[in-house]
Amino acid sequence: MKIVYVGVGEYATSNTGGVLVKTLALGSCVAVVALDRVSRSVGLLHVALPESSINPKRAEERPGMFADTGVDKLIASMRSAGYQGGELIIKLAGGASIMDPNNTFNIGKRNVLSIRKCLWRHKLGAVAEDVGGNISRSVSIDISQGKVTVSSPGRGEWLL
Amino acid sequence: MNVLEAIADRVEQEPIPSRVAFDILRIIEDENHSLKEVIQLTTNDAALTTEVLKLANTATYRRGEPVSTVNRAILLLGEMMVVGVAICASSSIVFNCPLNGYESADGEMWDHSLRTAVAARVVSRFGKKRISSGLAFTAGLLHDIGKTVISEFLEGRTSELVNACEEGTVADYLEAERKAVGTDHAEVGYKLACKWSLPDSLSVAIRDHHVPARAEEEYKSLVYTVHLADLIAMIGGAGTGVDSLAYSLDDHYEDWIQITKDDFALLLMNVEDEFISIKNLFPKQGT
Repeated sequence: MKIVYVGVGEYATSNTGGVLVKTLALGSCVAVVALDRVSRSVGLLHVALPESSINPKRAEERPGMFADTGVDKLIASMRSAGYQGGELIIKLAGGASIMDPNNTFNIGKRNVLSIRKCLWRHKLGAVAEDVGGNISRSVSIDISQGKVTVSSPGRGEWLL
Repeated sequence: MNVLEAIADRVEQEPIPSRVAFDILRIIEDENHSLKEVIQLTTNDAALTTEVLKLANTATYRRGEPVSTVNRAILLLGEMMVVGVAICASSSIVFNCPLNGYESADGEMWDHSLRTAVAARVVSRFGKKRISSGLAFTAGLLHDIGKTVISEFLEGRTSELVNACEEGTVADYLEAERKAVGTDHAEVGYKLACKWSLPDSLSVAIRDHHVPARAEEEYKSLVYTVHLADLIAMIGGAGTGVDSLAYSLDDHYEDWIQITKDDFALLLMNVEDEFISIKNLFPKQGT
């Protein structure tokens, strides 16, 4: 099976059956999965940071790095792949943090909140989330079956 | 032989990761050493010379004209950074062994160590007390070296350790390791550092990177830098497998490192960029 890897700050869309779209080792980063039942297209975005305002130049070069610019690009890319608007199945995974009761550097939580806000602007919301906690996650999407799988070292894998 | 004795035995057998790196370290330790000695050792090693020149010509270090001599390259990088480069450039298999006891794949230990090294260099700029960025880099590179020894003794026990963390019967993965085999990767790393006669600054950084408050006062700035850098590497997705993110932030870091939440987001981005740039120089070791 052909595997398409999506790196940090990247996004990919595909409607080719038999392809596995994967993103690895999400620490505080968040994978945004988009599935369109009508066009049978699938999108995956690997967000690293919540707001593009901290570095607009970087956001231009690599919009997928930030939640706000990344979500816009993912939706636009889904449209190019055949999504006509309307219902879009969204799933989120990642956004973990280190063990820190004071939440000092909780980039993971901020990423998730920012992604939700950006999705609302597109009148979209996630139907499934596996976010937070202190674990590293990887995500893969089997395009033929529309199946989204999350895995973590030492914890096996499960469906999202 | 019990587990602790077997681990001690493995520590005794563990070869030094880079002979030239540790030779340079020994020279630098003498306050009266001359730069010429470091240049000599560097130029005696063709691979190291190439890597030192390559790094000095990256955007992070180069100022103006291309750097064509080892002398100028070392002045730009700093002597401690040459040690880090020597470890990176060595053909040691140490960093690329899969850590089965951590369910960590081939190359993950290298990525985590290199990312921590880069993060430590970046974090050192935020230190309240000035420390050498090259020392921070080298300490970051070596901080988890104990995992290469303890890993085989943790094989087959990952579920037990993960459950202990998730059920809260241990404070973090370090305690889970101690519960399972009577020692932890930081302590084993410290024993390796002592066996290799590393300078105290590096040994203490290895020993206390998860418990920085325990470090001697004179090394606290370095140890807190590595502590934060290790967590930054994990937050950025580069852990060493099953224990990734299962460690605590010591909130006394603020006494040593001045960093705001906004700085932190930018810092994550800088670390990502610098990591990619340096990883291209040292793509894979030991194969």
